[in-house]
Amino acid sequence: MTERGFLDVAMQSAHAFRAIMQAVARPGRVLELGSDLEAPDPLLSSAAAVALTLCDFQTPIWLAPELRNENVIHYLRFHAGAPVTDEPGKAQFLFAMAGETWPAPALLMQGTHEYPDRSATLVIQVAGFAPGDVVLSGPGILSSEPFGVAGLNTSFWAAMVENHARFPIGIDVIFAAPGLVAALPRATEIRLLESV
Amino acid sequence: MNAPAYNFAYLNEQTKRMIRRAILKAIAVPGYQVPFASREMPMPYGWGTGGVQVTAAVLTPEDTLKVIDQGADDTTNAVSIRKFFVKTAGVATTERTEEASVIQTRHRIPEAPLTEEQILVFQVPIPEPLRFLEPRETETRTMHALEEYGVMHVKLYEDIAQYGEIATTYAYPAKVADRYVFDPSPIPKFDNPKLDNCPALQLFGAGREKRIYAVPPYTKVKSLDFEDHPFEVQSWSEPCALCGSCHSFLDEIVMDDKGTRMFVCSDSDFCARQRGER
Repeated sequence: MTERGFLDVAMQSAHAFRAIMQAVARPGRVLELGSDLEAPDPLLSSAAAVALTLCDFQTPIWLAPELRNENVIHYLRFHAGAPVTDEPGKAQFLFAMAGETWPAPALLMQGTHEYPDRSATLVIQVAGFAPGDVVLSGPGILSSEPFGVAGLNTSFWAAMVENHARFPIGIDVIFAAPGLVAALPRATEIRLLESV
Repeated sequence: MNAPAYNFAYLNEQTKRMIRRAILKAIAVPGYQVPFASREMPMPYGWGTGGVQVTAAVLTPEDTLKVIDQGADDTTNAVSIRKFFVKTAGVATTERTEEASVIQTRHRIPEAPLTEEQILVFQVPIPEPLRFLEPRETETRTMHALEEYGVMHVKLYEDIAQYGEIATTYAYPAKVADRYVFDPSPIPKFDNPKLDNCPALQLFGAGREKRIYAVPPYTKVKSLDFEDHPFEVQSWSEPCALCGSCHSFLDEIVMDDKGTRMFVCSDSDFCARQRGER
């Protein structure tokens, strides 16, 4: 049986998009993403809401091995109509789990200097947020925003610092925790704190 | 009405997803113009089809919408777009700036300061600031890629050489987050300082030209100028004839065929508030 998606697609995707958009517009700020849908294990319902709000037949999806099972693939194909690809470099949206495996950001679609919008969005499922890893600044942030994500190590943040250095090309990251969403677009400057 | 005649906010869900993806990339690369598959809307190009599509993609049923045209809530364009969303999305509307959660605007930024809870959607006719200097899209795209904006400074310099000052008074080019030069839509340069470090998210939609771009909240927006000819906004020798405000943008209104003129606030909500009518 396939888990059900949005009951009322227009209303629920509008609400989900508002939360996602405000998260991307205000990097590091954790916002509520309550979504009335079911998601197949181990996909979080917040990550599923991101997928059903943004993905369709135009956006190839890549799934990390931990998320890649028949139920999840069927769910995304059935509700979003999105093709699931094996090649991370061809995916517009990638779904991964914190602390598990995912391809280096540099291997994903970066966009070009002429078309920086043709780049991948990485959705990372996380357990929660705890400021302490990094301090963010840049567009969307008044002065600076302390930020941290459970289960992400120094190598991830180092890769994101590199990602920012490639601006305006690069990937954008959305973090999906149970009932919550936050984002780290490529324009955001990242300062690592010593304790990480 | 039993069954809704339209999908919420008129556009179908696939169109909204496409626009929403473009909006997210536009926010991620501040000031860069993201191409999008602009749809035919039930109004002509030039009437705000870009702004309408962006508004439709961000609107939720709980929003309170304000629509202004040249600052006024009661002009044809503003009234028809407001009615469009009342009919297709059933959202509440307001003329008061601080009550609105989404404000669609043509050619002005409201005088009242915006907040973090608000989203400002601009209608844009020509999104490319370099278009009148370089007509080829392939060239302007390369110029943005290489951050090659010398030609724009030459244009501003030629203004100074010819008129003694920078003669651009609206759609005044500015640099977003120290990277992309962008066209803030034909707002008067009076409004350019409001773009800078604004708490509200600012989205720009150009329907005919099929581009969406954004200025995230609290983002640096620097109007182009020279050290010896710094950016300046317009000023008027007299206050608003209706409310007496000395610090709002004034429209010149011809009163008769004998040359009588009157200067009044272009922001109708601000002016009414100043007069104590609201």
